[in-house]
Amino acid sequence: MRVLNCLLFIAGLIGGAGVVSAAGLTTFPVVIKGGQIIPARLEVPAGIKIKLTIRNEGPGPCEFENLDLRVEKVLAPGASSFVVIHPLKPGSYRFFDEFHPSTSEMLLIAK
Amino acid sequence: MLNALIVVWRESLEAMLVIGILLAWISRQPEPVPLRRGVWLGVLAGLGLAVALGFATFATFAAQSQLQGEALEAFQVGMVLFAAALIVQMVIWMRRHGRRMKQQLEEQAGKASGAIGIGVVTALAVAREGAETVVFLYGLGLEAGGTALLGLAGAAAAGFALAAASGWIIARGARFLSYRVLFRTSEILLLFIAASLLAAGIDRMIGMDWLLPLLDPVWDVSALLDDRQGAGRIMADFLGYRARPSGTLLIAYAAFWALALGGLACLGRDSGGRASGGNAPAGGKN
Repeated sequence: MRVLNCLLFIAGLIGGAGVVSAAGLTTFPVVIKGGQIIPARLEVPAGIKIKLTIRNEGPGPCEFENLDLRVEKVLAPGASSFVVIHPLKPGSYRFFDEFHPSTSEMLLIAK
Repeated sequence: MLNALIVVWRESLEAMLVIGILLAWISRQPEPVPLRRGVWLGVLAGLGLAVALGFATFATFAAQSQLQGEALEAFQVGMVLFAAALIVQMVIWMRRHGRRMKQQLEEQAGKASGAIGIGVVTALAVAREGAETVVFLYGLGLEAGGTALLGLAGAAAAGFALAAASGWIIARGARFLSYRVLFRTSEILLLFIAASLLAAGIDRMIGMDWLLPLLDPVWDVSALLDDRQGAGRIMADFLGYRARPSGTLLIAYAAFWALALGGLACLGRDSGGRASGGNAPAGGKN
């Protein structure tokens, strides 16, 4: 039990120290519809924290995913969520819908 | 259809791996029946929780509220971290159980709590990936409809059966290992699964801006072993491997391994004097 308590305590400590408001960030909307991610190409500024809002307009569920940034969001049709992207190095990052891997792709270009 | 098979297989594999390891370990114990029952009850509870969580994911769309989305997110983070902590706790329990098997046998209470612990770990392992599978299948079902639904159900069942077969092979194959090897392998695998759960929780919290990544990435070894595909991706999913780890994740890993290995080392020291037989119990088939 001591180990469990310790783990929880450390998790709480890290969590408490790192909490920052996600409000007021530069926000970019992303829509997923019919197995496609819109826009297919999104340019964002590099080196600053940004926020992507993701909306799934259906008809099916989706899993918005990027393997470089370890983003993974499962969204039911009609659901919306967000993900905060911490300062990026310039470059391109490929997002896709894991439930529709063949039709969906969005390139996030950080400049 | 192939997509459904692969998604279901991949999502169930982790749970099957945990179940396979636990069953292999349990079959070497002198009184396996209550522990085995713990596993199967855990599977049932986990399936129930997975369905509930899957529907909670769907229910949030009706309200469209970001607050509910965040609450669900927080719940999922809490679940993976709790599962990681519980697995560590269970590995320590397993070692202690192996050491003091004879006393443990007479302790009814000790046996019951062991079965409950094993049940809860199994339930969380099943619920975590199961919830995603529920969302995926339910959604695909909505999209498909009619006769396509049958093919979908077939593909999902095939994926599930494949994963179950993988778990079964692990449990069966483990029979050929000596008790000591089996015991060490289970310990190490379970701890790595716990580490991968911790990593999933940390990554999720960074994405919600609840945690800062600190230096990100600290290093980049994706040229050596890429965590986006092939073996690297499997290691990322099951062992928590990251080719480009963030500072926060490394700190969490350091704390995790220090606690887990430190806890096990402490246990080795203070039970070393009391236990007579070391790791190999009298009842183990070597």
